[in-house]
Parts: sequence; C-alpha cells; structure tokens
Amino acid sequence: MLNLPQFSIRFRSRFLPTVGSLLVAAFSGSLHAAGSETAKVNFNRDIRPILSDKCFFCHGPDKENQKADLRLDIRDSAIEAGAIVPSSVGDSTLLHRIAENDPDEVMPPPEAKLGSLTPTEQDLLKRWIAEGAEYQDHWSFVPVPEQVPVPDAGNGWARNEIDHFVAASLDERGLKPAPETERERWIRRVSFDLTGLPPMLEEIDAFLADQSNQAYEKVVDRLLDSSAYGERMAIDWLDQARYADTFGYQADRLMHVWPWRDWVIKAYNDNLPYNDFITWQIAGDLLPNATRDQQLATTFNRLHRQTNEGGSINEEFRVEYVNDRVTTVGTAFLGLTLECSRCHDHKYDPIKMRDFYSLTAFFNNIDESGLYSHFTETAPTPALPLFEGDQEKQLAEARKLVADRERAYAEELEQARKRFETASPVDPKKPEPVFSFNFDDGKASGANRSVDGKVGKAIEFTGDDPQALGDVKTADFSRTDPFSFSLWLKPAEHKSRMVVFHHSRAAEDSAFRGYELMLYEGKPTFSLIHFWPGDAIRVQSTEPLPLNEWTHLTITYDGSSRADGVTIYRNGKADGKLEIVRDKLTRDIKHRKEWGDSEAGKIKLELAGRFRDIGFGGGVIDEFAVFDRELSPVEAAAMAGAKGDFSQADRFRDFALNRDDSLREKRAAVLEARVAENTIAGDVRQIMTMRDMPGQRPAYVLFRGGYDQHREEVGPGVIPAILPFPNEAPRNRLGLAEWLTEEQNPLVPRVAANRLWMLTFSRGLVGTPEDFGSQGEPPSHPELLDWLARRFMDSGWNVKETLRTIVLSATYRQSSIPEDSKTWSEDPQNRWLARGPRHRLPAEQVRDNALAIGGLLVDKVGGQSVNPYELAVSFKPLPPDKGDGLYRRSLYTFWKRTAPPPVMVTFDATSREVCTPKRESTATPLQALVLMNGPQYVEAARALAERLWKEMPESATDDDRLVRAFRLCTSRHPDASELQVLKQLLSEQREHFTAQAGEAAKLLKVGNRAADPSIPSVELAAWCVASEALLNYDETYTKR
Amino acid sequence: MKLPRCSGPENVIGVSRRRLLQRAGMGFGAVALSDMLSRDPMAFGVEGGAGGMLQRTHFPAKAKRVIYLFQSGGPSHLDTFDYKPLLNEKHGEQLPDSVRQGQRLTGMSGNQTSLPLAGSPFEWKQHGQCGAWVSSILPHTAKIVDDLCIVRSLHTEAINHDPAITFFQTGSQISGRPSIGSWLNYGLGTDNENLPAFVVLITKDKGGQPLYARLWGSGFLPSRYQGIRFRADENAVLYLKNPDGVDRGSRRLMLDRLRELHEIQRDATGDAEIDTRISQYEMAYRMQSSVPEATDLSNEPESVKKLYGPDVEKPGSFAYNCLMARRLAERGVKFVQLYHQGWDQHGGLKGGISRQCQETDQPSAALVQDLKQRGMLDDTLVVWGGEFGRTNYSQGKLNGDQFGRDHHPRCFSMWFAGGGSKPGTTIGETDEYGYNIVSDPVHVFDFQATLLFLLGIDHERLTFRFQGRRFRLTDVHGKLVKGMLA
Repeated sequence: MLNLPQFSIRFRSRFLPTVGSLLVAAFSGSLHAAGSETAKVNFNRDIRPILSDKCFFCHGPDKENQKADLRLDIRDSAIEAGAIVPSSVGDSTLLHRIAENDPDEVMPPPEAKLGSLTPTEQDLLKRWIAEGAEYQDHWSFVPVPEQVPVPDAGNGWARNEIDHFVAASLDERGLKPAPETERERWIRRVSFDLTGLPPMLEEIDAFLADQSNQAYEKVVDRLLDSSAYGERMAIDWLDQARYADTFGYQADRLMHVWPWRDWVIKAYNDNLPYNDFITWQIAGDLLPNATRDQQLATTFNRLHRQTNEGGSINEEFRVEYVNDRVTTVGTAFLGLTLECSRCHDHKYDPIKMRDFYSLTAFFNNIDESGLYSHFTETAPTPALPLFEGDQEKQLAEARKLVADRERAYAEELEQARKRFETASPVDPKKPEPVFSFNFDDGKASGANRSVDGKVGKAIEFTGDDPQALGDVKTADFSRTDPFSFSLWLKPAEHKSRMVVFHHSRAAEDSAFRGYELMLYEGKPTFSLIHFWPGDAIRVQSTEPLPLNEWTHLTITYDGSSRADGVTIYRNGKADGKLEIVRDKLTRDIKHRKEWGDSEAGKIKLELAGRFRDIGFGGGVIDEFAVFDRELSPVEAAAMAGAKGDFSQADRFRDFALNRDDSLREKRAAVLEARVAENTIAGDVRQIMTMRDMPGQRPAYVLFRGGYDQHREEVGPGVIPAILPFPNEAPRNRLGLAEWLTEEQNPLVPRVAANRLWMLTFSRGLVGTPEDFGSQGEPPSHPELLDWLARRFMDSGWNVKETLRTIVLSATYRQSSIPEDSKTWSEDPQNRWLARGPRHRLPAEQVRDNALAIGGLLVDKVGGQSVNPYELAVSFKPLPPDKGDGLYRRSLYTFWKRTAPPPVMVTFDATSREVCTPKRESTATPLQALVLMNGPQYVEAARALAERLWKEMPESATDDDRLVRAFRLCTSRHPDASELQVLKQLLSEQREHFTAQAGEAAKLLKVGNRAADPSIPSVELAAWCVASEALLNYDETYTKR
Repeated sequence: MKLPRCSGPENVIGVSRRRLLQRAGMGFGAVALSDMLSRDPMAFGVEGGAGGMLQRTHFPAKAKRVIYLFQSGGPSHLDTFDYKPLLNEKHGEQLPDSVRQGQRLTGMSGNQTSLPLAGSPFEWKQHGQCGAWVSSILPHTAKIVDDLCIVRSLHTEAINHDPAITFFQTGSQISGRPSIGSWLNYGLGTDNENLPAFVVLITKDKGGQPLYARLWGSGFLPSRYQGIRFRADENAVLYLKNPDGVDRGSRRLMLDRLRELHEIQRDATGDAEIDTRISQYEMAYRMQSSVPEATDLSNEPESVKKLYGPDVEKPGSFAYNCLMARRLAERGVKFVQLYHQGWDQHGGLKGGISRQCQETDQPSAALVQDLKQRGMLDDTLVVWGGEFGRTNYSQGKLNGDQFGRDHHPRCFSMWFAGGGSKPGTTIGETDEYGYNIVSDPVHVFDFQATLLFLLGIDHERLTFRFQGRRFRLTDVHGKLVKGMLA
C-alpha cells in the first residue's frame, strides 16, 4: 500500500470502505458520449487516457525520465507544480501549455512526435479542471468490490444480471437491444463458442422441438459436458501459454510438450477452478504431495522459445527465458505489460524495475541451461518422467531391488571385515588398466608436441587439438559401471575451465552428456552427466593444482550414480574436501539412439580439448590409464608411486574391492539390478517442468535489461503497488500463486472474466485484454466487468458456471443484426452490445467446421500432434499424415515455430512466439484461395457431397439435398432465393462436367480419401463444386 | 532534444558503453532533422499507396520500392568489399589484444587458445571511376561500383545468426516484432491490389543457416501485412491454383453464384462486412491470373535473361529470383525480399565463399543494370548484405589459405543501389585489421532509419500501438545516414 501514488493513499483512506460503490459511481454517466456537455467529466474514462498517452512518458511514474520535476499522475504533485489549479482554468499552466502555438512552449513538445492535443481533448481537460480536477484510482488497480449493485434497467428483456447492466448502458445511449435471434442461429453460435464445432442437424432439430423452459439450458449443459469443450477452451489458452511443438530458435527442434496440452484440455473438461488452474501452472510442483498433473501443469513456464544455436552465450538466453516467464505471467494473468520494466520503471503503471526483477527471482531457481542440446532430443532439465503403462511400477520395483541388493552388499561388507582380519596382508602393486598410454612413441596429433614427461615422453597440448584415445567401446561407460582413470598432468595456466579428458560429443551443445575431468580455475572436477545441469553428478576439489608441476590424479567411481561414489586422489591421497556441485543422476550418461542422440555409438574418449570448449592449452599429460573397475586407495597410491602407510580402512577397502569373492558376487548382483533400473529409467518419456533447486539462485536488477549487467540483488517479490505479498505465504512460486489468486488481487479476476466474455462476444469488455494498465482501453461496462469478476470468484472461480451465465443472457441471445442499422457504422466493434456477436471463425474453427460438415472430423482427444495437408506446403514442408492425422481437430496440428502451419497463419492464428491474448481478424484474398483450392477444403466439399447421397434416400430431390447441404453448413434452412441460386449453381456445374467428364474424375481425386464409386462421377463433381461454394459462403465460417 | 518513445526491452544484449555514447550523441543530429520535419511534414508529402496507414509520406520519397538481397549467414567483408592487406602480411600471427579489446566472441571460437590472423586468399583491385576496392570473386559487381553506395562500417550487437538476422529484419533480436517489409506494407499500402505488397523469394535448395517465417512475419501488426512467400512453382502463392478438374470458367461460374448468395445475405443483414467478403473472392480470382502473369519469365527477352546468367533458367535459383524481383517491382510490389543462404564459412572459406559469389554476383549486378536500363533504378532501392561480418582470424586451424572465419558483429559491409542512395560512394572505414570501425559507424538501426527515409518515412513516426506502447521498427534508436543519400 505504501508504494501507491500519494493521491491514492489519501483517496483510499477516505473512501476505502466504499471503494466499490465509489468505482461504480466514478463510472456512472460514463456511458454517455465523452463530449456530451451535460455529463460530468470522468477522470478514468476521459482524462487518464489523455494524460497517460501524451504526458506520462515524461511526467509519470518513471523517476529517471521525469522532466521539470513534474508528475501529472499524482494530483498533489500536479497542483504543487501549478500545472493544475483545481476549478481555476485560467491559472492551470497545463491548459496553457497544451494550447501553445510556440513550438518551444507547446506540450507535448514536437520532438516527442505525439502530435498536439485535439480541441476535444483540450476541452475535456478544461472542463475537468473547472469541475475540480478530481483524480480517481486507476480502475483496474482497485480490488473487485464485495458487492456490485445491479442496475434497475432492462426489466422484461433481461434474463439475468448481465442484461441489466447492458440495458442500463443501452438506455443511456438511447439504444435498444436487437431482437432475439432465431433458435438455429443461437444454437450455432453457442456451439461454436463452447465447443468450437457446429451443431449437428439432430441437435438442432431436438432443440427446435424442445418447447420446455429449460431448452436453452439443456443445450448449454450438453455442450459444457462434451469433451470438445475442453478442446475449444485449450486453444485459447495455448495462445497465451505460447504453446508450440518446437523450440523456436534457429534449428527449432521438437519440444515434446504435447502432454501438457492434453492436461489443459483435461483441466477445462474437469472444470478445474481457475485459481487452481493458475496455481498448478505457476507452482504445481511446490504443492504438498504434488500429483503428476500438478507437476505437469508447470510445463507452462517452460514453453517459451529456447535456442540450441552453437556458440550462443548460455546465460544470455537463460536470462531471456526467465524474463519470458515473468512477462507471460504479466500478460496472461495480470493483463500488465511488465516487460516495460525490464529497462526502467514503467512509464505508465506503478511497476518498478525492481518489481520486475523481484518477479524473476521466482522463476530463476530451476536447474536449467540457456541452451538445449544440439546433439540430443532429451528434454532439458528439470524434467518430469511421464510414465506409461506400468512403467512407474516397474521402475519402483527395479529401484527397490537395487536398494535391497545394496543393503545386502553393505551387510556382506560387515561380514567381510572378519575375513579381512584373518587374511594375510598383500603388498600394494600397480593394477592392470584396460588400456593405457605412456606417449613414449613421440607421436602427437595436430600441433600438440611430444615433450619430456614424467616417465619417458609426454604430450604438451595446444588446447585447440583434442587427442582422441583408444578403443571407442572400452571407455563407453554407463552410469552403472564402476571405472577409474589415472594420469599425470602439469598445467601451464588456469582458466575458467579447461578440458583434461572427456567422453562426450560436445560441451553445452550436447548438454555435456558423458563424463569429463575438467580443471575449473585449476580445480580438478569430475562429472557424470545425463543432461547438464539438472541430471548429473559433479564433484570438485577445493584446491587448484599447482602450475608447471607434475600432479598425479586418480579418479574412481563405484557405479552408484551418487556423488559420494566418486573419489579424486591427488598424488595417491584421497581428496577429503571434495565439494559436491551436483548430485542428481537419474538416467544414463551414454548416448542412445532412442533419445534422439545423433551420434550414439560414435563418442570418443579425448584428451585435452573438445568441440568448441576450452582445451588444456600449454598443459602436459603423461601415463594415462583407464580401468573398468573402481580402484582402491591402495591401488591409487600405487599408480601415483606413493609409498603409503595405509590406514586399516584403506587396506580393508582394497581387500573388499579385490580379494573377497563373496563381495564380488554381491557387487555383481548390485550391478545387475542397477543395469535393469537404468534400462527402465531410460525408457520413460520426460517433459520439461519446474522444479526448484535447493537454496535460491541470486537474482539481480539488470541494468537496461542486459543479462550480464548485474546491479542490486533482489529476492522473490511482487508488485506491491498492486497488492502486497501475502504475509504468511512462502517466498516462492507457491506464494506468487497465492498472491495472484487472492480475492484482493484487483487484476486477475477482471482479466479472467474479460477473457470469458471475449470467448463468446469476440471482443472483451476491455478491448485490450493484454493491457489493463493506464495505456489500455477502459472497460465499456466497468460495473458489468466487476460483477462478472465478483461472481466468478464467488462461484469458486468456476469457469463453466461463468460461461453458462454469459451464454444464457438475453444480451448473448440478441440477433447479430442490430435494431437500428446505424449501429453497424456507429459501433462497428459492438462495444455497446446493441446486437449479438458476429465474427469470422478463428483459424481452428474454420477448418474444424469444414471437417465436421464433411463428416470427416476424427473425434479423438489428445495425443501427439499431427500433420494435416497444409504442412506439406509450409515453409519447412513435412509429409502429411496418411490417415486420421489429416482429420483431427486443428489444435492438434503440429506447430513448428519457425514455419508455422500456413493456413492457420493465413487465418490470423498467432505465431506462438510470445504470450498473445488477442488475435487479429483480417479478411484477405489469401483466405479465399485457401478455402477454394486447399485440398483440405476441396476434399471436405466432396465428403459433404457424398454425405448427401449416403445419408439421404435415393428418392431425394436436388432441393432436398441442397437444403440439407445448406443446413449442414449454416445450421438454418435456405430461403427461396438462396435455394434458387444453389439450384442454378448445381445445374451449371452439371452441364459443365457433363461436357467435360474427364475433369470430374480429376476433381474427385483431390484428397487422401477415395471418392465414393457408387455415385456417378459427373454428378458427384457437380455436387462437390456446389458444396465448395457453400463452404466458401460467409455464413458457413462466420458466427452470426 | 530527443524524446525516445520506449518500445520495449533492449533485447538480450546488454548495451555497450560505446553504444550508449553514440546514443547520447545522436540527439544533435536529430534536432535539425526533426525541426525540419515538424514545420509541416505533410506539405511536401506524396500520396501513399492504397490502404497504407500513412495517407502521405513524411518526406518526399526517393524510393518507391525496395528489393532487398539478403545474404544469410554473414558474408565475409574481408573477402568481398573491405580490403585489408595487413592481414596478408600478418597471416598466421595472433590477433593482438589491443585490437580485440575484450570483444565477446561466440562460443565457437571464443574458447580457442590461438586466434591466428588470416589474410584474404583473393586478389583485390580498385574499380570504376570511384575506385572502390572489390575482391576478385565479385567480377560483375566490380563493374557496377559506380552505381553502388558501399557501406563498410555496418555494425550490430548480435553474434549468433538467429538473433542477428531477426534484428536486421525486425529491429529486435528477439522475435515478435514486424519485419521491415511488414512495416512498409502497413505504412505505405500497396500499388497493385492484385499482387501482395510484400513478397519473399528464397533461393531453393540452399543449405546452411536456417531461415524463419518470422523474418517476414507481421509480428503484432495485423497478419495481412506479412510477407507472402512466392514458391518457385505453379502455386507461387499458397493454393493459388484451382484444384485439378476446375478450370477458370467453371470457377467463375461458381464465384458468380457465391456472389449472389452473399448479396442476398448482405441485403438481409445490412452488414457491410459481407461486401468485404465479396471483394476478397474477387481479388483472389484476379490474383489467380495476375500472379502467374507476373511470375512467368518465358516472355523475357533472351538479352535480359543473359544478363542474369545461365542460372536464370532454374526456377528458384538466385538469378531466377532476381529477375522475378524486377518483374514484381515493375508491377508495383513495394518490397521484394530475397534470401540466399550459405554465407556461414566457419571453415573452408575460400571454396565456400567463391561458390556463393558465383551464384549471386552476376544476378545481383544484373538486377541493378536491368533496373537502370529500364529507368527504374532511380526509384527502386536495391540492398545487398547479410546479418554480420566475419572475423579476421581463423576459426580453428589456419592451414595456408585453408581456414574459416567466425561471426563478427563489429564491422561488415553492405551495398545499396538506386532509390536515392548515393552512387559511386564508399562510406565508413575499418581499422587496418578489419576488426573495428574507425569512421562513420552505421548501426543496424541507422540502416533501417535510412531505408525508411528513402521511402519517405520518418522512422520515428511510423508507429503502431500495441500493449499500450507505440512500437516502431527502430525501437528508440536509429539515425539517418546522410552520407548515403544522393
């Protein structure tokens, strides 16, 4: 509260108990024309938009940019500066400056290129000041009132509360509602709005026949209960979640995130309350005993674009991803343009730059990399296993077996102590490696040099010439294999990191998969990695190696997939102060074809360098040896030539590893169980989700948004000027979700209610669903929006219930033809709701409608995305599917971000690059070409023609068939003139194809499905063209 | 004094101090210009095209249309237009730190221990009256240097292809903004309603760095402003051709009946949008003849085809697309965007870049000549260039003249011809290592501002309000490069 602009504190403290009614009052009269002389000027409606757009840039909330120390967003400040003198038009300098002719004096200044204020705007400001220059809190930053009084208007017409609000506004504008639309049109409208599909003829007939009082309710309930409802709602959410099937940048590989899309469908069909819908997606993983679906929902935060372009700066992109999460939350839930605050305090809304970066701290804390892998399709970490069939059970059993056998080994180890005490001591001797290199042959690859070594010759490396070693297969260790390495090395310098040896395809470019010994600032660091950073083990010495001196290192690993299974020996002594950097390895470190690993089976063990990594420049390596077992401390010392007085523990370890048959057997049993577990674990599909790392990765204010421009460190936090962070809530994403879904959050319920309105009326009560801030459009019916938002929360954030209320209103039931034809031109966008909605169907519905009309639509919910015909002609063509994949609903169409489905884009689908809450609706000749010539539509037209034969008796006349076709396409009967046109069309086409029978045969070949041979081809072709005309008829793909 | 309108985040890149200084200094130049403009910009405006946001342009337009030959991958300036004999002298020596100045490198060569300088393996000569240096792999371009304005001091902030090319085409490294062509389409409308105002032509069967549909996308502008990619087949435009079995006559019949249905509906509803629907179908029908006419090269005289070289016969080749671009420009298409991939010579530079030039040199020069001989060069701006330059050192091993070059954002070359650009000029200079700019830097935003200026548009005033802000192509940056103006 303290961060609110001053005027609002005063305002609130005085009026807080009645803020709701005040808001209503503030807007009352607002429905009259802004310029009307009688109505009082209203700050939020009339004045704020002018000040915001023309003045706030320099005289608004952004401190850095304030000119002349003047703020016009705060009344006191404006008065103090003399810009505004309430009730005194002559003394208010603001009025003089905006009316100036002198270019040096006029505001806004010409350089701002904002143009000057229009006479109407100047007049409004003048009247407002004359009337006392009262400010109002920005309408969307005031909590939704507890109760919103319903106006006493529209009695007799109204069917529910919505209508009273609408009627009041119509009354004020002297407008009348349009008459009730025909039942056929209403059921068509509501079917598209709630399911995205047209009503079936039987459904229309049943509705027409239903004279009960509940006829409309029954239709709505049936639609809300159908699985198609969830599919329709999901499409809207996918636009906001920037959902796509590929990562989006450069190579644009597969993301494998469709299980999340299926979750969205399910969530809508289950009518998951909207507050849970938010919470699960923001923080489902943090809920107590999170279910699979709750965790899966968080994939929402990983759907932003990601890159794998070689050479990209990891941190640069990671920061970009985090920012995308924040701006998506801003747009989708809050209706705020948070991204403005990446570089400076928001210029129009009370969002500080610090707030933006505090929000990033919530999303900053997952163990991810800025690059996904170029060499594997494995889901970037953190990833959630998506079990299929009985995989979960199998894996649990396999893990239990591993645990059991590990316990058995541990018990046997205790037994073995007795055997050790009685065994005769053995002198340490050097163990036999599977292979080794002493480099004494004087050969070196590339520009590496053979130099004098620790023993005989060694190799000095350039750092740019990795030296491949040995047999590929021998060193291709799994995470279940015990293994060891031994070498002498002599670094010449320390760098941020240097490769000593590795078994991997690349560094960042392959998520580091494999194992590696690196020197980080000289500190020996050994890692086993499935996918860096979230699925890996890494241990690091705390001491750097000495420069220009020989050091011996032995690395041993016991096959346990645990960090404590790795030991680093320096000069024969175990390093007791290893830092565990990562300790979460759940899948194999080997490359596998099934994971989309492009070079499985070809990975090499290399010394001193790696593809695009920093090599061991100037360093020397000698006596390199590889072992396919874990060496004991005694053996490690022997490799280093260290004379040891070994502890009993060391000697016992040597005994246990090398000289006890019973333990050897138990180890084999453990290995066997681990291999089985590794196989099963590796078969489980994964999906990117959210999972916090322990602790908190520091977040910073980034100067001008630059990824490396760290300024002040910030912890997780929200936008206090909107609503303070809830006291008791945890400072993590769960707390953020709580903040978002608190009833006091002024934005979330309004933004959501506006969306539901948009889904049915095509335009929101707020026409800028993406911006509820100062620069956004004020609501056309503020009280109605508040009533809906209140009702929505009071219903338990019940989406179906709210939609039900909307579509059962008299407002929704209006004809789309207004009572007064002037309304078309005076209110083309239908802001005043003096008619029912009318809108060209969105891209998905255009296609789904054609498929449904042709009887082609495959009714299957969910699953992998599919390739309909249009992908064959996309920018990066893909072969279309052969069967059902051609006829699935459009939300299952494979979405490649760098080459989106061309027909969908032609019909204004969003690019799915960023969160987009609103689609444009254009009308272009390209759309006509698609509907006339696209194989999907030509085939659907033929399928429609075939239906007319299949579903009707042979005795049916042309008229009968045309009527049915027309009904299938528009849900209504044609009138006589329409039927006449269709008959002429049919007879012309018959004539045409009779004359050119060969053409008919060609037309019938379009599409994957064979034509019905029982219908004469000339006849079918003529009907096909007639059907095409109908599919291209405006009423078929426009909701009216 | 200049008031930048914020149009959003600064991208992923932190702004260098250098860039900030430039920005601060930019204000002075802008004062004079904006004073001039603010007097009465409309007074000397010219009519915009149909359906454009600008009724009149802000200034008299020099160029009425643009053909942009985008060379994707980052052509090496050091082997084409920016002659650096010092690199041959110091071939194999290390890049001095004093030259690199801590410049961030890509992760591809940034980890190399050694960064050996690499001289161009090609011969260099001065050409034309203007004496511009051009390497031997561009013999045809060398012949038209007196028509070119060569800029050797372009610079960008991106070091990877995706952000760099997106930056060039949309003014932002992160996708989501409208492309240059979409901005022009939005601002200037169209001169021929039967053809798209913004057409994209991509050389067929080229590998290399991928392209992305967003490069010609309309971003937050309505989708009708997006570029329309013409394919090199009978469906130049998506689903242009009638389905098999439907000829133009029977299509006309069907459309006549459809029109009648629409008219009945319009009369019943009084909804003017149905008229839009009717005209949509009529335009589509007209496009079905205007596009094949525009894209049919068979009537081009042999002499013209010869100018573009033998590849012109191969549909989808760069030569074919250059000739196509001329035909489209002739027919009133405002912005023709070509893309030719394959300039990403991380290795095998000598052979690789020679092949690229073989494919593009003659057609590019031919296009300029062809436009000139038709009198179209005066009001057609031709742009040639890629998304960044290449390093003066070898990526990976240097082996005589066998080497590659990594990405280099700090300087690179482009050329411009016609449309009010200054012919026979070379602008900007790089240091003797070809690594840093020493005079007249031209930032990507400056290029964009200048391109718009030539079309009569003030880049600060072609804006679109989205999410509460006025967006523009040049974000809050960009200054006119006066030296480029004829």
